[in-house]
Amino acid sequence: MAKEVIVEVKDGKVKETINSFLNGLLEKNLVSALLVPREVPSKDNVAQSLVNNPDELKEANVIAPVLPVNSAGIISDMTRLSPYKSPVGVILRSCEIRALIELVKLKQASLDNLLIIGVDCLGTYSVSDYQSLCKQGSSPSDELLRKFKEGEEDAQLREACRVCEYPIPSNADLVIGLIGVDFEKNILLESHTKKGEEILEKFSFSEFNQLKERKESISKYINGKIEKRDTLFSQTKEEASGWENLLSVFSTCINCHNCMKVCPICYCRECFFESPTFEFDSGKYLGWAKRKGSIKMPTDTILFHLGRMSHMATSCVGCGACEQACPSNIPLLKIFKTVGYNVQEIFKYVPGRDLEEPLPLTTFKEEELQNVGEE
Amino acid sequence: MEKDIGAVMVVGAGIGGIKASFDLAELGFKVYLIDKSSNIGGTLSQLDKQFPTNDCGMCQMLPIFKREEASEFCLRRDLTHPNIQIMTNTEVEKVEGSVGNFKISFKKKARYIKEDKCIGCGLCTEVCPIEVKDEFNEGLTSRKAIYIKYPQAIPNLYTIDIESCNRCGECVKVCPTNAIDLSQKDEILELEVGAIILSSGFEEFNPHSLHQYGYREYPNVVTSIELERMLSGMGPYNGRFIRPSDGKMPRKIAFLQCIGSRDKERDYCSSACCMIALKEAMIIKDIDPTIDVQIFFMDMRTFGKGYYRYYEKVKEKGIKFIRCKVPAIEEFSDTKNLKIIYETEKGDYVKDEFDLVILSVGQTPPDKAKNISETLGLKLNKYGFCKTIDFSNVIAKEGIYTCGSFSGPKDISETIVEASAAALEVSRVMLSSRGKFSGEDNYPQEIDATNEDPKIGIFICHCGQEISSIIDIKEVEKFASKLSNVQLVKDFKYLCFKSDLDKVKKEIADSKINRVIFAACTSYKYEVLFKKAVRQVGLNPSLLQIVNFREQISWVHKDKKLATEKAKKFLSMAVEKSILQQPLPLITDSVIKRVLVIGAGLSGMVAAFSIAKQGFEVDLIEKSSELGGNAREIYWTLEGLDAQNFLKEKIKQIEENKLINIYKNTELEEVTGYAGNFKAVLKIDQSESKVVPYGAIIVATGAKENKPKEYLYGKDKRIITQREIEKLIANREIDVNSQSSIVMIQCVGSREEPHLYCSRVCCSQAIKNALKIKEENPKANIYILYRDIMTYGFKEEYYTKAREMGISFIRYDVENKPHLEIKENKLEIRVTDPVLNEELVINPGLVVLSTGMIPEDNRSLAKVLDVPLNEDGFFEEANIKFRPVEFLRDGIFVCGLAHSPRSIEESIVQANAASAKAVILLSQERILSRRYIAEVNERWCSGCEVCISACPFKARVIDEEKKIAKVIPTLCRGCGICTTVCPNGATKLKGYEDKQILSVVDAAI
Repeated sequence: MAKEVIVEVKDGKVKETINSFLNGLLEKNLVSALLVPREVPSKDNVAQSLVNNPDELKEANVIAPVLPVNSAGIISDMTRLSPYKSPVGVILRSCEIRALIELVKLKQASLDNLLIIGVDCLGTYSVSDYQSLCKQGSSPSDELLRKFKEGEEDAQLREACRVCEYPIPSNADLVIGLIGVDFEKNILLESHTKKGEEILEKFSFSEFNQLKERKESISKYINGKIEKRDTLFSQTKEEASGWENLLSVFSTCINCHNCMKVCPICYCRECFFESPTFEFDSGKYLGWAKRKGSIKMPTDTILFHLGRMSHMATSCVGCGACEQACPSNIPLLKIFKTVGYNVQEIFKYVPGRDLEEPLPLTTFKEEELQNVGEE
Repeated sequence: MEKDIGAVMVVGAGIGGIKASFDLAELGFKVYLIDKSSNIGGTLSQLDKQFPTNDCGMCQMLPIFKREEASEFCLRRDLTHPNIQIMTNTEVEKVEGSVGNFKISFKKKARYIKEDKCIGCGLCTEVCPIEVKDEFNEGLTSRKAIYIKYPQAIPNLYTIDIESCNRCGECVKVCPTNAIDLSQKDEILELEVGAIILSSGFEEFNPHSLHQYGYREYPNVVTSIELERMLSGMGPYNGRFIRPSDGKMPRKIAFLQCIGSRDKERDYCSSACCMIALKEAMIIKDIDPTIDVQIFFMDMRTFGKGYYRYYEKVKEKGIKFIRCKVPAIEEFSDTKNLKIIYETEKGDYVKDEFDLVILSVGQTPPDKAKNISETLGLKLNKYGFCKTIDFSNVIAKEGIYTCGSFSGPKDISETIVEASAAALEVSRVMLSSRGKFSGEDNYPQEIDATNEDPKIGIFICHCGQEISSIIDIKEVEKFASKLSNVQLVKDFKYLCFKSDLDKVKKEIADSKINRVIFAACTSYKYEVLFKKAVRQVGLNPSLLQIVNFREQISWVHKDKKLATEKAKKFLSMAVEKSILQQPLPLITDSVIKRVLVIGAGLSGMVAAFSIAKQGFEVDLIEKSSELGGNAREIYWTLEGLDAQNFLKEKIKQIEENKLINIYKNTELEEVTGYAGNFKAVLKIDQSESKVVPYGAIIVATGAKENKPKEYLYGKDKRIITQREIEKLIANREIDVNSQSSIVMIQCVGSREEPHLYCSRVCCSQAIKNALKIKEENPKANIYILYRDIMTYGFKEEYYTKAREMGISFIRYDVENKPHLEIKENKLEIRVTDPVLNEELVINPGLVVLSTGMIPEDNRSLAKVLDVPLNEDGFFEEANIKFRPVEFLRDGIFVCGLAHSPRSIEESIVQANAASAKAVILLSQERILSRRYIAEVNERWCSGCEVCISACPFKARVIDEEKKIAKVIPTLCRGCGICTTVCPNGATKLKGYEDKQILSVVDAAI
């Protein structure tokens, strides 16, 4: 199943090389459509598009370092009611695949006939940063590749990406490899499944023979990330622990629920916090104000975040879409990733790791969590 | 004289009697549950925690059907059921008549308390000057002459121990309700019943007669039941683990097993004491792992399902096991520590000192067993336990049945199994009365309050002065009357009295109240009463809220001002909840009157026959082409009964029964639906598929003898299994007289991975076959190599007999197993004798391996039925102790070897217990849901199915069309797990809706 081949990169044009491979998939009728990020007309952002006509792939840019939405939600929208009947390729980053696996477990998406093509992720900028970088005239895609090659840290990348310990896609049929690969000359195509292998067999690429080097680079890269992640965890504990800190962290919440709307894991049809349970008579508000002297409006903002956290902590993949969508700059990623990681640790559960791994909420073991409530 | 159609008397209200009463009640009989003690609960009320989960779990046996007027709480506290009349302080005096028509005279001992007046306030106890030893805490504490047997007792009425009472009359003076009547006399009552179940249990052996152990002489020598009390939070030391002599925590403890069991006078094993000791040792280790615990034993009898694994777990805790019977205990007079000198297996003498010694006392027949049996014309065995007829563990004689230890020492789960089986026997002989009795009241048509504006009526009880002396009732009333939607607030002296309750009913009707709040005492006792009251005025009982002013406020607070504030908060909360409370209906469902029994071994056939006897059609499917299963290979029992003959009869019976359809070469392919309404697909002869609806399913798929890899089995025809030799002997294919030496090896492939359990039957099997050979050929040398001999109950006698007849029992350790090889065509066994500590070499003519039972590959069937298997591959019941034949998925039951290894009689009784469960289900005209059940908001549900995997009762399924979850109302127990896993409240628990709870919280803070 595992097969590694290289695709030659001409004139250092990584994006175009990948596009030509994708083009091949459509032209050889190996897939009936491809879900890929494409440049928007203003060229300062990308948008996921379901492409049927190979010509439309010209605008595709799968290495654009920006994640306007986590595509797991898009795939859920497309496949929840009925799975694809013919093969469709989806080009995704690691966080998108992991979220997708969670949604499949939650019966919100189907992998039937999906060809998952993962891309090594070097990180992404926030949408606004990406836009301003584009406006400055440079190509953020090429610039990031250069920085990566030269081992230069990019502090402008989203925090979610700077601390992400999963740059390499898992559970993909095919992986487009960049890390540990001399991408100025070649990019790597790796099959992880039978399906992926069969695709590669339809092309005549030459063998990749630097697997050991790739593995070493990956592990070095990941170790660096884990270190940063752990620093983030300890920072978060300091900054957000305790009621007072929590109040202050969430004090600017305007109850817009953007974080919920963009979260790939928030799969409820209608959010509980937008339900009539939270509609009150005027008398209630007055009663609360009377009792406490004053109440902050809108109400229930912290309850919303804590409620949402309790619902998705076991499945949070740390993509940071929530933080990117927050108009009030609440550091959601750090809080959700820290809590998520610690909760997942308790259940020895890693979201997106394995389709067969049951969701912690659906398993009950007589002898677990015996010391809940004890310090 | 009271006369009832379909009435049954259950004698003894311990765990067996309670279970039998529940089953009879669900079958629609009237039950008189009598007990000589002042309270029900029996021995179990003294035991706080049960193996293997080390919690109580008694509530798991609460009835599933006919529960609207029954209490649904902790069974240690309360038992109310419209079909069950509890008669405490009562003993049978005389019985006349026979099955279908018994006339019984009872003596009801005077309680000296008017039961309808006592409110359980306890003022009488405070003034009583008499102190005597408290039996409940095994004399470790004292009580007054007027008392409640134990704090959580039911009924929680006081009683006067008239022998200790000096009739000073102090209690009469303080009783606020004039409930005490010192002139009460014993009463003789008469009843007519159709059948009798005897469940009088056992008495713990009193070790006083064994002077060598110094019981009652040395304070730090206690019995295992006393230890239970010492470890209990409600025990003599309030949950602190200390020893009697000096109140210090014991650091070194010895358990002495088989006290009053397995001795000359009592040549039987009490069956439960090993597990009790293991459990107690475990609890002690949980209290403090550094306490040194040593258990002195002869054989560790861990023969039941899951027992051996528990034993392994206990061993991991560092408890020491020493194989010897301790001859005597001496006390150090200064420290009150105890000296034990014992001889190890190897013959060394060891002297050791302990802080506390536990005597693991056995079960002896109740002292009144003799009287009862004489009255009823029953036979007792030589120890005084009741005899049952051949192949039945519950039939004493037609019309009179037993369950539990009354017929021999038992543990809880066997008692429960026998109780259900006994109830089924009753239903068999009283079939025409089944389902005829309902003690439920008739109520007027319910007023539809769904869309009515809430009009709340609050009724506050003074409980004499118990509540009103602490809570300012007037102030609370003034406050409550201003709360929204409150129509009226009234207070009463005793709400539990009929006179006051009648006034309440009138107020509700007059003011058209549609939400009712009672502020009174603990709801355990009076919820049923209050619910009835609101139903009598046409209100749905879910519109009633009870708040506990007594136990939760006035009895625990002294500051009147704060207590009054708390009372106000309680009412605010109840009002908020009431405003949002809707009447909750009972949803009904029909039941298909047909049962599927899977597996036509003995258990399956017994089940099919028993169910057919109750008038229901049964499909009995068998995957092979023959009936009989494992029983075909059993020729006689240890007790000498002819098993083959019994099997032939059974086959004939089921073949002749018109209600039983036998499908051979048939397997179950698919099951959909739920209890009462299953749909099964049967695959007949591997081709034809047939879809059949069933109300219930019984799994009786059996197990098989393990064919071992060990000991050269299969390599030499002189090496065979117990079943094989039994067959050879039975068919006269072996000349027993030519055998001069036979070795039997026990636990071959058992009690170690991958079969980490005891197969229960192999020791009896070996002794049975050894005795058979020895009887024919007394000269034969028979050696049984064993790890622990598991001759529980009266099987012990045969172990004794075997030793007396010269059969050699040689123990081996699992680390040092016997070694078998073939040398020059001779079998040679080497085994280390732990007593002689030297290696024995035996050259037997035959080696017989006791290989135990292993489960069939049940995985695919378990998947089809959606029920679990345990780690050994046997079917896993809902609760090992209290629901031994049920699955968590309602309507499917298990019995026989598919459940766990067991003897023929035990399989039969279990098959009948499983049948009882199926018959209870099928005999319901319609099944009613509970009121507080889950409901799905279809618009919100995303169909993620998390609730479906989380529901323990399989009460949720996916609606394939809508792709969302739906609830099967009659299966939902209202546990609320679905609501906690559902992220957006698309599932709600009626009566506990988010909005209600948020409002209640809001009112509280």
